[in-house]
Amino acid sequence: MNKNKHLLLWSSLAVLALLVAAAVEENYLKEWRRIQQSMAVEGEPIDVRLRQIVIPELGTTDRCVTCHVGMAPGEMALAAEGTGLAAPHPFVWHDPAEFGCTTCHGGQGLATETADAHGEVRHWPEPMLPGRFAYASCGSCHTHLGVPDFEQLDFGVRLLERHDCLACHAVDGRGGTTRPFAAAGIEAPDLSHVGLTGVDPYWYVHHLEHHELADEGPWKTSFAPIDPADLTALEAYLGTRVGAPGLVAAKSTFHTRGCYGCHQLGGVGGDEGPDLDRAGLMDPELLDFSEVPGERTVANWLATHLHHPAALVDGSQMPAMGLSDEEIELLTFYMLSLRREERTAAFTPNDRLEAERFGAREFTTDGPTLYAAFCSACHGAEGQGRRYPDAIPFPSVANADFLAVASDGFLRETLRRGRLGRRMPAFAADQVGLTDEEIDTVIAYLRHLAGDVPAPPEPAQFRWVEADAALGETLYRQHCASCHGAEGDGPEAPALDHPTFLETADDSYLVDTITRGRSGTPMHGFGSGTPAFPALAAEEIEAIVSHLRTWQEE
Amino acid sequence: MADSERSGLGVFFANLKEAPQRVLRSLFRSGPPATDRSRSSFVFDNVFLHIHAVRTHRWSLRWATTWGLGVASAAAFLIALATGVLLMFYYKPYPEVAYDSIKDIHFVVPTGRFIRNLHRWAANVMVVVVFLHMARTFYTAGYRSPREFNWLIGLGLLVTTLGLSFTGYLLPWDQLAYWAITIGANIAQSPQELTDAVGITEYFDPGGLQRELLLGSDVVGADALIRFYLLHVMVLPLLFVALLAAHIWRVRKDGGLARPADADDRLGPPPPDTYPVFTETPQKTYHLAAIVEGRTPAVDQSPENTVPSMPHLFYAEMGVLMVTLLVCLLLALSFDAPLKELANPMVPENPAKAPWYFLGLQELVAYSAFMGGVGIPTLVIIGLGLIPYLDRETRGTGEWFGGPGGGRLVWHSTVIGLAAAVGIAAFAIYFGWLREWFPDIPQLVITFVNPGTILAAFYAAYSLYLVRRYNSTRAGALGLFTCFLCGFVVLTVIGWYFRGPNWDFYWSPADWPAH
Repeated sequence: MNKNKHLLLWSSLAVLALLVAAAVEENYLKEWRRIQQSMAVEGEPIDVRLRQIVIPELGTTDRCVTCHVGMAPGEMALAAEGTGLAAPHPFVWHDPAEFGCTTCHGGQGLATETADAHGEVRHWPEPMLPGRFAYASCGSCHTHLGVPDFEQLDFGVRLLERHDCLACHAVDGRGGTTRPFAAAGIEAPDLSHVGLTGVDPYWYVHHLEHHELADEGPWKTSFAPIDPADLTALEAYLGTRVGAPGLVAAKSTFHTRGCYGCHQLGGVGGDEGPDLDRAGLMDPELLDFSEVPGERTVANWLATHLHHPAALVDGSQMPAMGLSDEEIELLTFYMLSLRREERTAAFTPNDRLEAERFGAREFTTDGPTLYAAFCSACHGAEGQGRRYPDAIPFPSVANADFLAVASDGFLRETLRRGRLGRRMPAFAADQVGLTDEEIDTVIAYLRHLAGDVPAPPEPAQFRWVEADAALGETLYRQHCASCHGAEGDGPEAPALDHPTFLETADDSYLVDTITRGRSGTPMHGFGSGTPAFPALAAEEIEAIVSHLRTWQEE
Repeated sequence: MADSERSGLGVFFANLKEAPQRVLRSLFRSGPPATDRSRSSFVFDNVFLHIHAVRTHRWSLRWATTWGLGVASAAAFLIALATGVLLMFYYKPYPEVAYDSIKDIHFVVPTGRFIRNLHRWAANVMVVVVFLHMARTFYTAGYRSPREFNWLIGLGLLVTTLGLSFTGYLLPWDQLAYWAITIGANIAQSPQELTDAVGITEYFDPGGLQRELLLGSDVVGADALIRFYLLHVMVLPLLFVALLAAHIWRVRKDGGLARPADADDRLGPPPPDTYPVFTETPQKTYHLAAIVEGRTPAVDQSPENTVPSMPHLFYAEMGVLMVTLLVCLLLALSFDAPLKELANPMVPENPAKAPWYFLGLQELVAYSAFMGGVGIPTLVIIGLGLIPYLDRETRGTGEWFGGPGGGRLVWHSTVIGLAAAVGIAAFAIYFGWLREWFPDIPQLVITFVNPGTILAAFYAAYSLYLVRRYNSTRAGALGLFTCFLCGFVVLTVIGWYFRGPNWDFYWSPADWPAH
């Protein structure tokens, strides 16, 4: 019976000890308490308490400032002299007091322990963005910044240099060393954020006035009249200076590599690949990291995936695009920024509200950008066509021979309707989402790319060939089938049996194409022979066309 | 008279001085528990203690009699109750808000994480201990007359315990909770397999009704959460307390714990250092208990082998309570209660697993939804409930593995029960089942012929064989109960450790394909 007495005594003592230990540990040994206890303003210890920024409209409760005390609103005295965790937040356009912390940095705002708060724990789908990708979070709200393709962006940088703007103006941390009014010592405005406020429409007139009045100094030597084309490009470039140069460069890389051809973003784009609207919010728990070197981060996964998609995703249709390391870094950055959230109007940027109401684009709608964003992945940056391993080759479209015989009407229908069942999507407004004007812009740009090839007249007569289809079949098997397939299904070359193709291609186009061929591609002209390929007579070519037409009638 | 001679103020101060003593005396009206009589009064003058007998047989106080499992179950319940009330101050039963409130409890509420861990571990300890308590009662034949009905109340407590634990599982509103409850709700829906096969689901759909009653809606959403919350914090705890009160009360009314007929002889006289046993010459008051109807501990027995409940039983009970608390504390301080990502109906957990005590059922459900979800559990509950009414023997009462066959029979049954369960599961895992061999086979055939039903039928046949061989129902019951425990453990372990994505078999979770 004494056994039970001892049992009670010792278990009670052990319970008491554990309860005391738990109470002490849970209340006094918290990391953040130690951090706050070590902070003092003018020798006075600061008030040790939980600090947080709550933004109900954004649904955030951010306790980051419990450790990063210097960044807490109202901790000016501490922040004034603070370093490390007591240091204030560097100046940013969006005050942390109004936007919270996780809105931009990700991580787990509710947590009060380092690993949990930084999201480097299991079961937290949104870890903090790595420093070099910090600006990716802008994408949760700022989705609609019109960005051109990379070449134009790069051109803008070079214009700034060429016109010596950087002498007086700082842009993205470069330049701005010279004072335009040397005596008065006024600095020229920093243009890194000029895209947010809009470029002053009279700046050029004012600059010109100063230039003409000045006798010496930067107004005379650095500034010089700018020709109208450069002026437009320069203003377009300045419009993209919103304080996030890395993100803009990343987005423009996306627009350059033709990703829209297969991927949808904001309701625009092809549907071969996954919709990328929230690709930046992928849960690392749900990704396969077995083939990913380095840390288990979404950024690493994305970079590896961009390098060789099929290695990470079984059955991925996305080819290895042959991207450079720099491009992969930028595209990873952009992918991480794809995290669009629906916010209340007060927290939605004006340009996005406007864009969502009026359907403005997230890319600029000039020919080069449209072509680069929608076509270049398959048809090549210069429209020369492209071949990926294990895929049907994509035809050369900016080809003078092709454009010389293809009417604008044919091109427009081809772009609008695509090739159902093959990789070419229908770009019409109700499918991929390009307007008729944008499609015409692309066609015009193609003609420009191929060396300003004029459009042939629209065909007067759509079907006029009447020839011997049986002879055509023989000739087809002999001359065409090796690339276009016995049934015209095009394993190595464009499919000729495709109903949309046969419906939109007129007889003249077919006859002329066979006759002229396409220089720079395996398709040679059958109008003039070579030693290896004897020429075909006009009747023979027409016979082949008649044979093609038999597929249409089936 | 004396008062009138003193001043009012003098009386006031005298009373003030006496007040603590008087409070104490008014609390314990029978005075300090120093005599047999006052010790008895201590128990039956107290509304809470009165649920105990005033004297306890020494057999009941042996550690090996019960290993304190019943008290430990109640202790775990009390711990969960106390911590649960504290959690209710912060918990908000609404989707997403619920998840944030758990995060707040974890990160911000002072000792919140500790309280939540304690609650979670107390709940798990309770499920384990309740099972062990049932096993103890069975193996010592404690269910026998006159304790049959208390065995049924115990079964009710087992089901309520599982209900409490299961309803609590959803409350954190994370992925684990969401998909476990989805699985649970689908198990509730499993009668549809039978009604579908017969083609009457359209007219008579008990499965769909069960699921809808459970969730309050077609999906696991806000309605399900508030329903589970109400069940968890109100309905089931009240039911549990009511059943528990009846359970403990009946222990007393049924004459204390079951013990062997020759318990007194085996115990011998109390050790000399036992105090107090009897401090007074027995007087008429001692037989007071005899006027209570039914068998009481003191009827027809010499009192020498009983000791006063106060303090002997209460030391033991408090000791078990403290040990249970200690175990829960150690677990709570060592392992955090899980909290996964916010529930996301678009991203199913794969594998989605039910709470661990239902993984055996989930494994059975993988064979046949109806049999696993309803058929076999119902048979098991009915079978367990019938045991005391079929076993009317007396041999071995109060002894571990008492009855014909004894420990050897239990040992054999363990081997056979484990082998049969592992064998049939391994067969199904390696060779597949009827559906793989005959793709067009009617579902009804699989419902009735699947690894689960075959295992159950085998256990039943083995038990009948034991009844015949030992010419004893108790022997059959010993075999069947042991097999049931073995099957439960084997299926639970398979479901918990060896089942991966798509409920496929894996030797280890490390072999699961990524994602």
